[in-house]
Amino acid sequence: MSGNPYQDDRGNKDASIVNPKGSGTLVSATGTGHEMHTQEAFLIGDSMTGGYGKSGPDILHDCTIAVDKGEIAVIVGPNGAGKSTGMKAVFGMLNLRQGSVRLGGEDITDLSPQARVRKGMGFVPQTHNIFTSMTVEENLEMGGFIREDDIQDTIEQVYELFPILRDKRNQPAGELSGGQRQQVAVGRALMTKPTVLMLDEPTAGVSPIVMDELFDRIIEVARTGISILMVEQNARQALEIADKGYVLVQGSNAHTGSGKDLLADPEVRQSFLGG
Amino acid sequence: MDFLNALVALSNFVLIPAIAYGSQLALGALGVTLIYGILRFSNFAHGDTMAFGAMVTILFTWWFQSMGISIHPLPTALLALPFGIVVTAMLLILTDRTVYRFYRRVKAKPIVFVMASMGVMFIMNGVVRFIIGPGDQRFADGERFIIRARDFKNATGLNEGLAFKTSQGITIVTAIIVVAVLFWFLNRTRTGKSMRAFSDNEDLALLSGINPERVVMITWIIVAALITIAGTLYGLDKTFKPFTYFQLLLPIFASAIVGGLGNPLGAIAGGFVIAFSEVTITYAWKKVAVYLLPESLEPSGLVQLMSTDYKFAVSFVILIVVLLIKPTGLFKGQSV
Repeated sequence: MSGNPYQDDRGNKDASIVNPKGSGTLVSATGTGHEMHTQEAFLIGDSMTGGYGKSGPDILHDCTIAVDKGEIAVIVGPNGAGKSTGMKAVFGMLNLRQGSVRLGGEDITDLSPQARVRKGMGFVPQTHNIFTSMTVEENLEMGGFIREDDIQDTIEQVYELFPILRDKRNQPAGELSGGQRQQVAVGRALMTKPTVLMLDEPTAGVSPIVMDELFDRIIEVARTGISILMVEQNARQALEIADKGYVLVQGSNAHTGSGKDLLADPEVRQSFLGG
Repeated sequence: MDFLNALVALSNFVLIPAIAYGSQLALGALGVTLIYGILRFSNFAHGDTMAFGAMVTILFTWWFQSMGISIHPLPTALLALPFGIVVTAMLLILTDRTVYRFYRRVKAKPIVFVMASMGVMFIMNGVVRFIIGPGDQRFADGERFIIRARDFKNATGLNEGLAFKTSQGITIVTAIIVVAVLFWFLNRTRTGKSMRAFSDNEDLALLSGINPERVVMITWIIVAALITIAGTLYGLDKTFKPFTYFQLLLPIFASAIVGGLGNPLGAIAGGFVIAFSEVTITYAWKKVAVYLLPESLEPSGLVQLMSTDYKFAVSFVILIVVLLIKPTGLFKGQSV
């Protein structure tokens, strides 16, 4: 109660003039001031707590990450904040001790990553995200391995999204440049026609020009109605295209808001965006 | 004339035997390289599984012979081969279920698999000797030669004869067919591509919905086919003796490593490199030299670099040299 001059207790003990008994102490919370919509979020990792292995230390502490349909959600934060871990938790590669993951209202907390792919989640790991010894086209074919129907149309769509891949279709994916490899990786994940696409640092190790182009492509993917959840090192550029941003610090939500709000927030700017 | 004689002698004693032997090694090495690529360990039980496959084929051959079934002039063993492959495939899948699957489930390091495969090797070794005995077995029948040495001499008028055995012809033709089918399977079919994907990047293959147990099972079936064919061809060409097959493990491993482990093309190239080195180094070159060199330079000795008893040393030396100089093998294989 400090800081409130009206609550100073000095001289307040004289029962002849004040009646200290029975006065109310209940204070109602003010709330966050904005609605979170976690109930209807398309994909949500809700208050997740957990770590690697059966008994590893907790890395995530009550962390919540959600993305709506057709939106781009970006997870940013300092090194070791648990950004990639948070994404892996949503994809079922981390042992959760608390919390749940829901996709379209269905609880998928106990499903394996493979089962989640069949539910419509696509995942692009940070490294080793392509079949290096196989051609670009074979990479895409393998991406659509679980599909029983004709995948040729989807391959065409991927080529339309990433025209450079059409020219390199018969080249081993391992011989491509960093940016092109990322395009193959994203293309491979798109082959299952996912409803959610998860990208773990898609622009790691590519030049700034290629990075801008990749972001453009990601926006294009989001426009087709696919939700995108992305971990990014390049926080500023990522937040610029983000509908929703999560700043994680030590495995917990530190700041949450729309990309623009976070970019405008002086505290976020100072701590994570370098002023 | 002398030059032609030299060429014929060379073909008769070096080229044809080396090509046939190289084909057998290549088939064996393809199996090793597939297991290395997909199950990620070197299978020490390979030689003895080969003996098992050949043994089953021989038992079926004897059975067919006793019933009077034959495909003359081809050896009856070819007819028995599919049955041998099926039984060997069943044995390999059984081995996988009882031994290797457990280690996959507990995510054991590949070295644990290697040690387990040695145990499998000893058991397989015992099973084969228990069933068919340790001695030599004859099962070849049908026409023995495609070209006889005497006919060749009469037809061409050369001093040197050229003999081309049926078993050698069958070996070369079968190897070409098997390799063509295998490459078509790996590069063109969905299942084959999924195997390559699994070998390339297991995690990503899982995320793409490829079922690892299915990939592993198909690998064992292909390996069963490859080694039963290789074992039977070797038995037809030379002789069937369990211990010889165990010894074949060294040149087969050498072939797979020389070519680049995990690379099917390398396995074939490696097989021929090893076969040609073994045959040329242990061959007595005197005959060829006499035809080619002037009389004054005629060699007095056999001009044999190494006795045939030491032929395994050749594979060993090549193996060591390759590991020292180019550990990934001639073709781009996975680093050893």
